[in-house]
Amino acid sequence: MHALLTRLAERFPDAVLAVREEGPYKDLVAQVKPAAVPEIARFLHDDPEAAFDMLSDMLAVDYPEDEDRFEVIYLLKSLPRNHRLRLKARLPEDDPTIPTVTTVWKGANFLEREVFDLMGITFAGHPDLRRILMPEDYDEGYPLRKDFPTEGRGWRSTFPFLPRLDEPAAPMASEVPEDQHRPFLKEAEGLPKDTKAVRRQEELLLNMGPQHPATHGVLRMVLELEGERIVKATPDLGYLHRGVEKLCEGLAYQQIIPHTDRLDYVCSMTNNYAYVRAVEKLLNLAVPPRAEYIRTVVAEMQRIIGHLFWLGTQALDIGAMTVFFWTFREREVLLDIFEKLCGARLTLNYYRIGGVDSDFTPDLVQRLGAFLDTFPAHLHEYDELLLTNRIWLARTKHVAVISAEDAVNFGCTGPVLRGSGVAYDIRKAEPYGAYDKVEWEVPVGKNGDTYDRYWVRLEEMRQSAKIIRQCLAQMPEGPIIADAPQIIPPPKQKVMRDMESLIHHFIIFTQGFKPPKGETYCSSEAPKGELGFFIVSDGGPKPYRMKIRSPSFVHLGAFDHMARGYLIADIVTIFGTYDVVMGECDR
Amino acid sequence: MDMLVFAGASVAKIAVVMVTVLITVAILTLAERKVLSWMQDRMGPMEVGPYGILQPIADGIKLFFKEDIIPAGANWVLFSLAPIISLIPAFIGFAVVPYGPNIEYELYGVTIKPFIISDINIGILYVLAFASIGAYGVILGGWASNNKYSLLGGLRAAAQVISYELNVGLAIIGVLILAGSLSLVTIAEKQAGGFWHWNLIGGLQIIGFVVYVISSVAETNRLPFDLPEADSELVAGWMTEYSGMRFAFFFMAEYANMILVSCIASVLFLGGYHAPYPGTLLPGILGYFEGVAWFTVKVYFFLFLFFWIRATLPRLRYDQLMRFGWKVMLPLALANIVITAIVVYVLR
Repeated sequence: MHALLTRLAERFPDAVLAVREEGPYKDLVAQVKPAAVPEIARFLHDDPEAAFDMLSDMLAVDYPEDEDRFEVIYLLKSLPRNHRLRLKARLPEDDPTIPTVTTVWKGANFLEREVFDLMGITFAGHPDLRRILMPEDYDEGYPLRKDFPTEGRGWRSTFPFLPRLDEPAAPMASEVPEDQHRPFLKEAEGLPKDTKAVRRQEELLLNMGPQHPATHGVLRMVLELEGERIVKATPDLGYLHRGVEKLCEGLAYQQIIPHTDRLDYVCSMTNNYAYVRAVEKLLNLAVPPRAEYIRTVVAEMQRIIGHLFWLGTQALDIGAMTVFFWTFREREVLLDIFEKLCGARLTLNYYRIGGVDSDFTPDLVQRLGAFLDTFPAHLHEYDELLLTNRIWLARTKHVAVISAEDAVNFGCTGPVLRGSGVAYDIRKAEPYGAYDKVEWEVPVGKNGDTYDRYWVRLEEMRQSAKIIRQCLAQMPEGPIIADAPQIIPPPKQKVMRDMESLIHHFIIFTQGFKPPKGETYCSSEAPKGELGFFIVSDGGPKPYRMKIRSPSFVHLGAFDHMARGYLIADIVTIFGTYDVVMGECDR
Repeated sequence: MDMLVFAGASVAKIAVVMVTVLITVAILTLAERKVLSWMQDRMGPMEVGPYGILQPIADGIKLFFKEDIIPAGANWVLFSLAPIISLIPAFIGFAVVPYGPNIEYELYGVTIKPFIISDINIGILYVLAFASIGAYGVILGGWASNNKYSLLGGLRAAAQVISYELNVGLAIIGVLILAGSLSLVTIAEKQAGGFWHWNLIGGLQIIGFVVYVISSVAETNRLPFDLPEADSELVAGWMTEYSGMRFAFFFMAEYANMILVSCIASVLFLGGYHAPYPGTLLPGILGYFEGVAWFTVKVYFFLFLFFWIRATLPRLRYDQLMRFGWKVMLPLALANIVITAIVVYVLR
């Protein structure tokens, strides 16, 4: 038994119901009483040996047959100790209430709202418990509960809160109905309607998005302004919510891979990678070395694409339009390589459970080498336009500053966290693929401002190029997919010729494979941050519950904290610096 | 009879200048897209006509036939008036710009200067005055749209125009001291005889030139000073609610303003229609057109500079713009005045 679990059980003999190490990877799990969660969370956060300073993710699982129907799971991560813990609490159906942990981890704010929204669990003491992904006046229940049909309840025309397209629009006295006036001004609530004197009159409520040139998709931001200065920024998410987690509960494990492409559509390969790694972890399946190298190379190519895309759009938001076109020029080269590799350019689907779909061809390796030869010169071109540009410095230095402590507390990961000076990179902390076999460094910033995050991302592109080069040099010969006939179908050529292989193929694709009963959380370093998949398996061919830990969603939880006090012009800089992709954020 | 001849000649000159300016605006819309494209490794418009040269015509037709929308909450009088207020001052300024040599013809007893519409002795003051009126179009357009983004754009425009117009005015005072006149013709004439006589080099108006160029970029709301428009922050700033021809008016005004400030810059600092060498190479009447050609080259140099800056620099933030205007540009312009005044006083 892990020392930490013993310590926890001894410290809270009444509140901790059970501690155990689960699965082949010995995940630490602690089952606790719901009422004691804040106390235990505080202990786990403060205790120097536990030091769980980050709440990676939280979710709820619905077990309708059980006595205590809901299980709330907190996925904790300790950066100094580099270990993880799953904290679980069971809640009954008639009173699904649990105290909030926002007092311990500020990042829990959005995560708890999501659990409330999708599973209907109330968090007592939460400062702002509203729906987050579904519309605020959504009245049809909680979508992730098992008794909610996958196809949804009703359709567009049956929801009274959505405007009908076939009827003339109802006349409205003003754009905002009277009773919804200023719903974002929490302080004004509970006061008689005519007491306006509590707030100064100069404040301007500006609605930014969901249709706005700089919101990178369909993010809506309600800004309270004093002149051009931001007093409060309230992100409104969910315009791109497609219920991927619910959909995945109805799909076999292989069928989910294409759905992960559509999460972060800028870096679809990374999502594929994160997902197949989670399934492999669940299956405890070893991947052949050549496949690991290929996966690493492709993931790093995707990281370069993601960062190029980010650099272009961030620069465009700030007004430097040339960088945008130049980065897209380089991105195009890599997309062509992807097209050679798997036939697609945007929603790529190359990773397979247990390996990859096809091998590198010599032509592809040669093209990739040619790209790597010219890439440093191109990076230098961007540097010439931006790195020492006075206006660029003025627009990014000391803008959207977040301290290392706050960044960790909000659950920020990836370049956002590293820009604040925390050298946390999952590729180093929990190595996977071929990352532990090549030489590379984790760039970290100092001040946690937009410029540092810009610098970190540019440096990461250089490191990625370095990783790809080494991987190509070291790449061993061998199979590209694991030898596990229970899980992996035979190669297509054999299927077309050989009767037994055809049957084998048919069985896997009609019945799926059945991983052992259990749970697993597996995180990967996506260009945006920590992309994690939490899968609960009931032993069937479909996941019982799948939760996606999306870095963009967690980062937007810190938006208000980072935006307050800056000017309207900085809002677009802050949007850009997170590198949000709403497909991943809203899922 | 005299009046008739004078009026006829003036109308003819106005017609030529207006047509030239409008054609230049059309050329600029294409040139800007082409120049930016080449700087950004792409081709720009290629579909309409060979190499996309008919693109401005297609754009014009499109804008002309677009639906004209006035938002429900807008003040329609000011909303319709704003593009006109923007456009007219932009065109009116060209009346005092000398395009070619200062020659005079006798036509039925009336003296006519063919290369300038009207040589009034306060030419530069006239240009500055009308440039300020143009700003009202932006402010009113932003206010009348009844849109928060437009309002913010309009407010930014007001602040920006006030700050930078001051700098434009102060930057050219050095030139005025050297020329001893407010007439653009006189200023140009004083710079005759080769590039070492130009105000930029011979008059050592380098600070004034730099301040003027930067401030005029700001005054025309171009990157990196396009805060009133700021497409990534304020959607399109004061133009957010405008469409069709009203939008085209604002657009034309912006480009006409660019041409105007380029014309003024070349007259004030680069000798206007004077070639960089003394006299002209071509004899007689062709020599006049040599001057016009040199003037055109200088104006296009400035216009190219606008595009070049746009392709290179990010946008400033509002507070940085203000700080830059008041704390950097203004002291520089004042220093330029003081130095020029002292030097001129000592040398005379």
